Amino acid sequence: MKKKKLTPYLYVLPGLLMVLSFVYIPVVANFFYSFFRLSSYSVDKKFVGFDNFVRLFTNEAFPIMIRNNLYYCIISLIVQVGFGTFVALMLESKLTGRLRNFYRNVYFIPALISLSAVGLLFTFVYSPDLGLINNFLESIGLEQYTQVWLGDSKLAIFCIIAMSQWQFTGYITLLMVVAIQSVSTDYLEAAKIDGAGPIRTAVNIIIPLAKEQLLVCSIITIIGAFKVFTEVYSTTSGGPGKSSQVLGTYLYQNAFLHDDMGMAAATGVLIFIITVTVSIIQIKVTKSGEV
Amino acid sequence: MKKDLFKKFLVMVLVICTIVATTGCASKKTDENNTTSTEPTTAAQNTSTEKKEIKFFHRFPDEPFNSFIESKIAEYETAHPDIDIVVTSAQNDPYKEKIKVVVGTDDCPDVFFSWPGEFSERFIREDLVMDLKPYLDADQEWKDSLLATQLAEYTTSDGMVYGIPFRLDGKMFFYNKDIFEEQGLSIPATWDEFIAVCDKLQEAGITPIAYGNQDQWPSAHYIGTLNQMLVSDEVRAKDYEATTGEFTDPGYEKALTYYQQLIPYFSQGTNGLTHDMVRTSFSQGQAGMIYVELVEIPYIKQENPELNYGMFNFPTVEGAGDPTILTGSPEGFVVSSKTKYPEECVEFLKWFLGPEVGAEQAQTIGWFNGSVGIDKAVTDDYLKEAYNVIANATKMGPWFDASLYSTVCNEYLTEVSSLTNGDITTAEAMAKIQKVAKEAQTIAATDK
Repeated sequence: MKKKKLTPYLYVLPGLLMVLSFVYIPVVANFFYSFFRLSSYSVDKKFVGFDNFVRLFTNEAFPIMIRNNLYYCIISLIVQVGFGTFVALMLESKLTGRLRNFYRNVYFIPALISLSAVGLLFTFVYSPDLGLINNFLESIGLEQYTQVWLGDSKLAIFCIIAMSQWQFTGYITLLMVVAIQSVSTDYLEAAKIDGAGPIRTAVNIIIPLAKEQLLVCSIITIIGAFKVFTEVYSTTSGGPGKSSQVLGTYLYQNAFLHDDMGMAAATGVLIFIITVTVSIIQIKVTKSGEV
Repeated sequence: MKKDLFKKFLVMVLVICTIVATTGCASKKTDENNTTSTEPTTAAQNTSTEKKEIKFFHRFPDEPFNSFIESKIAEYETAHPDIDIVVTSAQNDPYKEKIKVVVGTDDCPDVFFSWPGEFSERFIREDLVMDLKPYLDADQEWKDSLLATQLAEYTTSDGMVYGIPFRLDGKMFFYNKDIFEEQGLSIPATWDEFIAVCDKLQEAGITPIAYGNQDQWPSAHYIGTLNQMLVSDEVRAKDYEATTGEFTDPGYEKALTYYQQLIPYFSQGTNGLTHDMVRTSFSQGQAGMIYVELVEIPYIKQENPELNYGMFNFPTVEGAGDPTILTGSPEGFVVSSKTKYPEECVEFLKWFLGPEVGAEQAQTIGWFNGSVGIDKAVTDDYLKEAYNVIANATKMGPWFDASLYSTVCNEYLTEVSSLTNGDITTAEAMAKIQKVAKEAQTIAATDK
């Protein structure tokens, strides 16, 4: 009897140990380290209480970072999830016809390129003298709209956000296409018989049935917006000034530039709390699991 | 201690996992392989009984520099069959991060690249770098073969010599001789002359100064040089030290004001351009001047071998500082204090960074190491001039961004970046820098 009960646990054990040692222990350790001042190459660490958090919240860059992360989040939700879903609906409608597969691939390809490659690519696109955008504007006679893009304190963060939208809208589109395809044709036919047009069908039938996937997409997008790092690091590293600083780059700079691992851990804790809270709220609000 | 425990725990978890996963189907041998692979040091110890392994970590993975280093090391290994040099490399920024992570561990490379000044001194404070002074004192010939001004950059205030230069560097203004001739301009010596030259170039529709500050470090070189001229050596020494840094001297704000005067003459959209981009446009003859490092001569040659250019010192600004200082510092290698073979490491460096390799290095890759008289074999006139500029410099001014405490440096660069965009005033910038310097004082004090 006893042995029978033990076996399933043994099967789970290796996986559990892996998850424990690579996910949960580091998370707990991170909370622990956020109360210390320590560097990566020194052996001793000093307990500083909440000092790291006080320094984080009173930092001049803090409101800028939160603002930038929020911009990232809101714009990504509208463009990636909103527009992405719209594109998915279009792709699954009759309009695309035989080119459906072609379009689907075209939209998805940017998501396959590595983040740092995209960053490098866009520094050229945005370059003020050699860049694609400025040259295009000049060639169609709109010189007055040329900008320094990444070098402009007000525009930099939006340029980076735009780059992300270009890259990931197709990804969300693909996820939504899968969800739309799984909507039973019975419902769609019933709607048709009842006289619902394509818009009505989309709003009242398809979207409510694809709600679960929509929720997953929103969570991915929001969490991604608060974890964003590579996009910023590979283009402006937070500049000019502090104008495009986000939590991720701030964490990184503290860890590897200033050797302030405690401060980096504190920033990590903040990102963790934000993302976990967002996920919990979202799951509660949309009552996941019920149809 | 904590780290070790955690490491052991990780290894244990891995072992348990492999045992559990492989029970009944894998032989015992795979387990052993898996455990040894997580502990590379034990593997290294086993092989080192025959050959002495020196781990060598540098930051020049680009060609042709990498192949030159590799070929020299191969040459050394052939001449010394008992030595096995294991080379790894990383690009500039990743290197800074990687070395900080490995330097404190048992896997620390025996010989590694390190910048002079604060970058190395933080390791010295943790006793991670070996003192080379006893070796230099024991070998007068070696000591005499190195440029004293350059070795001084790798010497601490209490006399410890911690590194040997691999490449010398200095920052100079390069100017396009053809453009200057066309416009009837001569080399500016003072600030007013410099501004006059800039005006003339701008009137002619030529970008006066090619300058790209997207990566923020290029501004540090302007500010560093201006600070050297406007703030006295003692005050700068006090402020650059984290525990006493205040930056209240009016010279600092003046330096920003001078910098501000240059903004209209810089390349359009300075903050959106990288240094490499603007150097290319200078090489292509699209700008009159550029403030560059002498180690960039090979790059300019690559970009446009025909370019006809000359060099001059940063124009003199009247102030409390010393205008004769040449901004720039050598870069070189240090030896880990944890190395098992200190003698062998020093022997290797003596040769690798000595005059024989130095002469060949200058000719093949265009970089000079710290040895005396290695320009004789050099055929390129620009390189010859560069070597003479550095060899004749009476005093070097270390890179501004490398000599500051990292948070202060970051704030300085950030504020200068905003200043370049015209978002803040010089007074606002200084106030912010002073605030961070004050915070750094308390942080640095708790560290000590």
